[in-house]
Amino acid sequence: MSSVVFLEKLKRIWILFEELSCSAGSFFTHFGLVTDLYTFLVRWIFPVLAITIFLRCILPLLQNRGRKIVWGHLHMQDGTSVPLQHWENSIGRSRLADIVIDLPFVSRSHAVLTFRNGKWSIADLKSKNGVEVNGRRIEATEILRNGDIISIGGVKMELVLANREKGGLPQQQNSFEAPLRQDVGAGYFHEISQNSNAVRAPLAMRRSGSRQTFFLILLFQVLGGLQLFFSMGVEANPVVPLSFFLFILAECVHYSIMSWCGWKHLELELLCYFLCGLSLSVTASAASDSLLTQLTAILLGFAAYTVLLVILHDLERAERLKHFLAAVALVLLILNLAMGETHFGAKNWLDLGFVTFQPSEFVKIAFVLVGTATLDKLLTTRDMSAFIGFSAVCIGALVLMRDFGTVVVFFGTFIVIAFMRSGDMRTIALAVTGAALGTVAAVSFLPYIASRFAVWGKVWEHASTSGYQQTRTMIAAASGGLLGVGGGEGYLAQVAAADTDLIFGLLAEEWGLLVALTAILVPVFLAFYAVFLTKDCRSSFYAITACGAASIFLIQIALNVLGSVDIIPLTGITVPFVSRGGSSMVASWGLLALIKSADNRF
Amino acid sequence: MKLLLGRASVLLFFALLFVFGLFIFTAKYVSNASAWAHYPTNQHLYAEGKLVSCGNIYDRRGSILCQVKDGEVKFHTDRAVRTAVMHATGDLYGNVMTGARVAFRERLSGWDMINGVYSFHKQAGAGRDLTLNLDADLCSVAYGELSGRKGAVGVYNYRTGEILCMVSSPSFDPETPPDIEAEPEKYQGVYINRFLSATYTPGSVFKLVTAAAAIEHFDNIEHILYHCEGGLQVGGDVVTCHTVHGSVNLERALACSCNAAFAQIASDLGAGILQEYAHAAGFNTSLEVDGIRTAVGRFDASDAVGADLAWSGIGQYTNTANPLNFMAYMGAIANDGVRITPRIVKDKGIFSLINFSAVEKKRVLSSETAQRLKRMMRNNTISEYGEDNFRGLELCAKSGTAQVGGDKKPHAWFAGFLDRDDYPLAFVVVIENGGSGASVAGPIAAKVLQAAVQ
Ligand SMILES: [Zn+2]
Repeated sequence: MSSVVFLEKLKRIWILFEELSCSAGSFFTHFGLVTDLYTFLVRWIFPVLAITIFLRCILPLLQNRGRKIVWGHLHMQDGTSVPLQHWENSIGRSRLADIVIDLPFVSRSHAVLTFRNGKWSIADLKSKNGVEVNGRRIEATEILRNGDIISIGGVKMELVLANREKGGLPQQQNSFEAPLRQDVGAGYFHEISQNSNAVRAPLAMRRSGSRQTFFLILLFQVLGGLQLFFSMGVEANPVVPLSFFLFILAECVHYSIMSWCGWKHLELELLCYFLCGLSLSVTASAASDSLLTQLTAILLGFAAYTVLLVILHDLERAERLKHFLAAVALVLLILNLAMGETHFGAKNWLDLGFVTFQPSEFVKIAFVLVGTATLDKLLTTRDMSAFIGFSAVCIGALVLMRDFGTVVVFFGTFIVIAFMRSGDMRTIALAVTGAALGTVAAVSFLPYIASRFAVWGKVWEHASTSGYQQTRTMIAAASGGLLGVGGGEGYLAQVAAADTDLIFGLLAEEWGLLVALTAILVPVFLAFYAVFLTKDCRSSFYAITACGAASIFLIQIALNVLGSVDIIPLTGITVPFVSRGGSSMVASWGLLALIKSADNRF
Repeated sequence: MKLLLGRASVLLFFALLFVFGLFIFTAKYVSNASAWAHYPTNQHLYAEGKLVSCGNIYDRRGSILCQVKDGEVKFHTDRAVRTAVMHATGDLYGNVMTGARVAFRERLSGWDMINGVYSFHKQAGAGRDLTLNLDADLCSVAYGELSGRKGAVGVYNYRTGEILCMVSSPSFDPETPPDIEAEPEKYQGVYINRFLSATYTPGSVFKLVTAAAAIEHFDNIEHILYHCEGGLQVGGDVVTCHTVHGSVNLERALACSCNAAFAQIASDLGAGILQEYAHAAGFNTSLEVDGIRTAVGRFDASDAVGADLAWSGIGQYTNTANPLNFMAYMGAIANDGVRITPRIVKDKGIFSLINFSAVEKKRVLSSETAQRLKRMMRNNTISEYGEDNFRGLELCAKSGTAQVGGDKKPHAWFAGFLDRDDYPLAFVVVIENGGSGASVAGPIAAKVLQAAVQ
């Protein structure tokens, strides 16, 4: 069968060349043929590049090398030594404790050993048999020094702290103050069972590996930009190559700065560069007038990401940022409710005169941060009222704005964070029941939501009315096949919201199902990555930011993609990094910083 | 952090839910993508609901049945021909679901799952060409002979399966579609290809099924005599004949289509055996003609007793037959009991070489039974239909005049084959409420077959 297709193709190409050689041919027929030949070749290259890029990015990120950092040891009475691998270490009988002491007089969750403000401290979690430091029973929290003897329900252990100068050997004087002034980075730790010489070689290799991946991404973007430029034919808009050129330049600068600062594991950023490139492509197809706006948003995203990452790196600063952003978020929401503008049925736009944006996008970052808690707080107070209150305000405001897609995103993320903090299934079940009731209420009382549910699963019967967007998405996806018809050659771009809500169809039609699926697997990977990072996180603060941010990405893409192809009811929501839209782009980079900060290695 | 690691699994659960959703989508995509791509609003392939990005449709002699020129769909240049093959090519807007423009739209548009609708340099023509086995001129003759009467004519090569003639009436000129709704009676079921998708009461042509069962189940069948006094008392009812046939053997009974004799045979065979032979002859199953499923003819005598059983053996009762399916049974009798499934698409060289299973065969009768049926059907022509009417055709046939109840005229059937090695053709002609099979459908068959062997 394919051989017939191939022969047919050869025949056509032959006819074309005959035509060309016979007629003098105007410039335009030649140009058309060159364009077609170009598309014919590159449409095979894009999926290969996309899949290669995806794999080359995710595999190094999932390697364990260099992730385990030991901040000190507990020397037990029996001569064994337990490494302290986090800034927050729970001690107890439970097998989920970081340091398990399986003895009957140790409580399940007995104490937390915390590193904060350059000092180690221990907190008693209302244990039955108490905690003693140097033979003295402590009340709640006690600051520790190197060499202190801790007794957990009678089990004695000595705190021995690691030191960078001596390759991990304990040092007596002020070993915990010094490192703080360094900006943590390659600071005062050593890596388990590896000396630094053995680590250096693979690191160098890894860095060049990431550089090659970066090169592949640039190749994809150059080829893609040319494809889009060619597809426009004689009306080609110079903004297209210009914005791609500027974007590539910006990527190179950003990448170089990060490398120069010694940040590692840049594959995470590379994945998002790749998605941003796709966002420029869909913008070029569907709304080429907005290309420069989109480019600006990406640049702002780079900046926001870098700044946020630097701030977040210090836990103290991160805690302060959390309170600041929460306040800003509340102000934004109030402003939005008071003077918001309605686009596509949702009143979620704010016009400040010089700039128009969607506050709810930025509230996402504050929302995740408000949800965080350090392990000692998480295990001692167990109080989530601030987070629940903030969530209620956000979700309530979003309901008033009629931005129901984002309501689902916030609620899903609330579930993730609330469960990480409480571990309580009943709370979650209660929340889900409440949400189900809320959905029923929304469907019964809001005709706009009801119509979305009414057409769900039956879009082809309403193909020209309420199922219009979904059917057009599926038609586009099917038209593209696995390889796509070529950037700029699709018809979905003419449909409203194709470059935001229906982005999956647009990608599948023009760049092929393989590229589209690869792109939407990035947020899925980020979810796995966030969970993967949780295990060796310094602080539960970062574990929660990473999982919360990944949850927002994941739910957004799930609602968007599955909604646009009628697996679930359609909701108007953007795809992080890919959809056209400034607020969404900047907020996505902000959320990415929350994930990145959980990686000890960068 | 071990604690949080466990709790973070709720995020993994969400991720898996999404992946599951993607899996469902992918499964839907694999099975439905072709239908999605060929939705008539897809601007890649359609313009104003008309499939325009497609290859040409040719008949077996290479004349163009359908092409797209400057964005306009053009059918055969001769109005009579394009009307005759309208059900084979399909109309402009895809109303004829079994027409090539719908049934083979994937081949025509060139869509496949890897490339989608992509075609290199569309200006040079998109999609792929399709050649049908049809002989457009033969179709035109057949449609002309129907002269406006509703019905179907089919001719196919029982050795290769090629369908040479496939005509369904009423039809219309696809380039200038009439206002169907304005004349509902004239255009009743006009989008249905009656040859593939209709079923009719078979009447006496079904006696060829009953006869096959009789040949195999009664010893010395040639010597058994049945007595006809213009009918036969079965149970409390009478199965009537149109005349008194006296004593007849099976061959004679088939030739003069004696209902009394076949009522007796059906009663003697019983419902079970009739059911079995009807099934073998293609009743209660549909054939797949290059992916197009034919309508299913029904035979169900399981509850029939007495006169009902007798009538079912004569092709009345609740029986229905699909013209193409029955034609294939004729082909099986002609081809020593092996039925070759009819095919409408002529394969391209490479494709048929790779795909050996292109010709689908099934033995439905023993070779001996097929030979005897063939001799009896030849005798029908000689003794009843008149060899002069079918000069040189070596025609083997059976007529049917199927009563449809009420005050409507019976359906006229004429089905059979040519016992010629140079023209191994089987055929079927059905005229809805046309009257007598031999006198109404027979002459149409004669004209079409004479045209086919020229
Ligand atoms: Zn009789």
